[in-house]
Amino acid sequence: MRLLVIEDEAGIARFLKEGLEEECYAVDVAFDGKKGLDLALINDYDLIMVDWMIPGISGIEVCRQIRKAGNEVPILFLTAKDTLEDLVFGLDSGANDYIKKPFEFDELLARIRVQLRRSNQDGEALSAGSLTINTVSHQIFFGSTEIALTPKEFALLEYLVRNKNRACSRSRIIEHVWDMQFYSDTSVIDVYINFLRKKLEQAGCCNLIQTIRGVGYIIREFHPGSE
Amino acid sequence: MKRPGDEDIMTLHRYASDGRILPRMSLRNRIAFYYTITTALLMAVVFAAILFSIDRIVYLHFDQDLRHEVSEILQEVRLNGKLFSGFEGICELESSDEKSPGIQSSIVRLSVESGFIQLVDPSGQVVSKSINLDRNVLAFNSTYSGVRYFNSTVGRVPVRQVQVPLINKTGTVEAWLIVAIPTRNVMLVLVELKNIMLISFPVIILLLFILTRAIAGRSIRPVDDVIAIAETMTQASLDQRISLPRKHDELYRLSFTINALLDQLQDAFQREKHFTSDASHELRTPLAVVKGTLDVLIRKPRPVEHYEEKIRYCLDELNRMARLIDQLLILARYDQESIKPKTAPIEISSVVESVIARMEQMAGEKQISFVRGNFDPGMVSADLAMLEMIFENIFTNAIKFSHAGSSIEIEVARRTALMVCTITDHGVGIPEEKLQHVFDRFYRVDESRGSSTGGFGLGLSIVRKLADLQQIGVSVTSRENEGTAFRLVFQVA
Repeated sequence: MRLLVIEDEAGIARFLKEGLEEECYAVDVAFDGKKGLDLALINDYDLIMVDWMIPGISGIEVCRQIRKAGNEVPILFLTAKDTLEDLVFGLDSGANDYIKKPFEFDELLARIRVQLRRSNQDGEALSAGSLTINTVSHQIFFGSTEIALTPKEFALLEYLVRNKNRACSRSRIIEHVWDMQFYSDTSVIDVYINFLRKKLEQAGCCNLIQTIRGVGYIIREFHPGSE
Repeated sequence: MKRPGDEDIMTLHRYASDGRILPRMSLRNRIAFYYTITTALLMAVVFAAILFSIDRIVYLHFDQDLRHEVSEILQEVRLNGKLFSGFEGICELESSDEKSPGIQSSIVRLSVESGFIQLVDPSGQVVSKSINLDRNVLAFNSTYSGVRYFNSTVGRVPVRQVQVPLINKTGTVEAWLIVAIPTRNVMLVLVELKNIMLISFPVIILLLFILTRAIAGRSIRPVDDVIAIAETMTQASLDQRISLPRKHDELYRLSFTINALLDQLQDAFQREKHFTSDASHELRTPLAVVKGTLDVLIRKPRPVEHYEEKIRYCLDELNRMARLIDQLLILARYDQESIKPKTAPIEISSVVESVIARMEQMAGEKQISFVRGNFDPGMVSADLAMLEMIFENIFTNAIKFSHAGSSIEIEVARRTALMVCTITDHGVGIPEEKLQHVFDRFYRVDESRGSSTGGFGLGLSIVRKLADLQQIGVSVTSRENEGTAFRLVFQVA
């Protein structure tokens, strides 16, 4: 899952990026409204966090512009203001939710998960066949055996499972699992897919991830009858 | 001990001391009430005067008629053969030797138009009377001496009558002539008039009250508008204004004044709101940074260096927050009018020197040098601590926005009764349109709340506050990319 944080306060942007990356999200940071809006319109983010008071284009304007462009990406606004008017104004400008500074990091994570769940319409638990993913505890089970994965591997698998039965191109995968710094090199995906396949096979889960030649990868969930 | 009745007395007293006789009456009713009362009194007086004078005139006319009648009659009356004439002090004209007992008279004309005539001897005995009196007798009062007009009745008919003594040459009253005119018709008119006045009086007063009430209501309607707007006004809807009446009268001035007051109030609320919002933002941001950083830090075990780095980072943030709280407290403390500056005569140059000495290190970090210009001697009356704070803030500001390696020029000049201190830096300067806001709280010329300068936008508002408290003039001039000059103007102590 790839997130965009638009926040001018360096301290906040920093711990958000570090904390969220530890939670297997790919995080891009923009320090002002204009850069943030550019990134939001160019890249395909799974969620955008906007601070209300940012230099250049205000958070509200960023929100409006994103919606105006027909982009329905979930937007979470961070605010240090707490008057009702400000919050209502923010939500009316197209934000999906808000969180007041200072906030609990766990609460932020939960609110992010709520928005991602809504946008994927996948329901609570992620699964493909006998493989289940707990996005809160970051655990993956095949049947009852837990598979230990690195954050990146986890993020890759999570993305593929969220988009199961859909072909995921390398460029889409890289957009959603890696942040901007890895943009150029898509071969890194093949490397991680190899790691993943090995770990899954060790747990007895074979041929889950299939290669679509020239395009990318897919996880097919078989209906119980056809298996 | 409270006696019963005390409260009533107190209530009365309160109304009396309020000057309110009619405490619950609306203004419009009160205007109508007072107006009506005044008019009623005036009308009563006028009505009474009219009735009184008509009464007088009517009787005057009656009396004139009576006098006329009497003189007519006298020409024809023979009393004991004597002819009487004149009017006042009627006296014998012709004497007659003819003596006969008792009074003999002849009333030639027994009826006078519609009047009555009667002759009475001094003892009150009727000697003779006009026929139209029938069996009635005109009233006679023997106690009167001389001519007398009075009201009386004949039967049931009201009359005005005159009683005239007929005096002979010896000066004794030989008989009394009484003439009466019925007054009924005129009296009826008079009574009618009185009745009309009595009935019309309350009607007129009532109409007057209703009319004045309506007119008063009309003319104070703008006041009702003012009340209606004032009642709906809350802190949130302070943007409402009273529509100004077309005529430039007292109500126009009232509305205008209230509107101006509302402008000020709204402005104050707005500033208050901004300040609170800015302060909460400025306090919450470092708090959010510290909390967030520590939240993330504690989620997993990490190497020691990592902890050290994060803790140091959090400490920096906390120090920044502490500085902000200090500044907010200074503003809050001096916002309360109760705190008065402890002014004493101070040599301004020495204060500047001591502050420069403290600032040298901070300036040195950016290779900025202080250049002293003219330092005229002069004492000013100021609070030393506050004055130092003013200079510290201005110097800090100057250093912050100076180009590295530039100089800051300080000058203290005496201008007759004023001491003028100028601090000029060579730095980024302030764009003209932003110059007027530099003393506003939380205002930063560079909008990005970056950590590049590390300020909160409070330093200069503290300067303004402290300067205002001590009647020190502060002004700023600036050119973008050239520098900024702050001027402090003191009155010589």
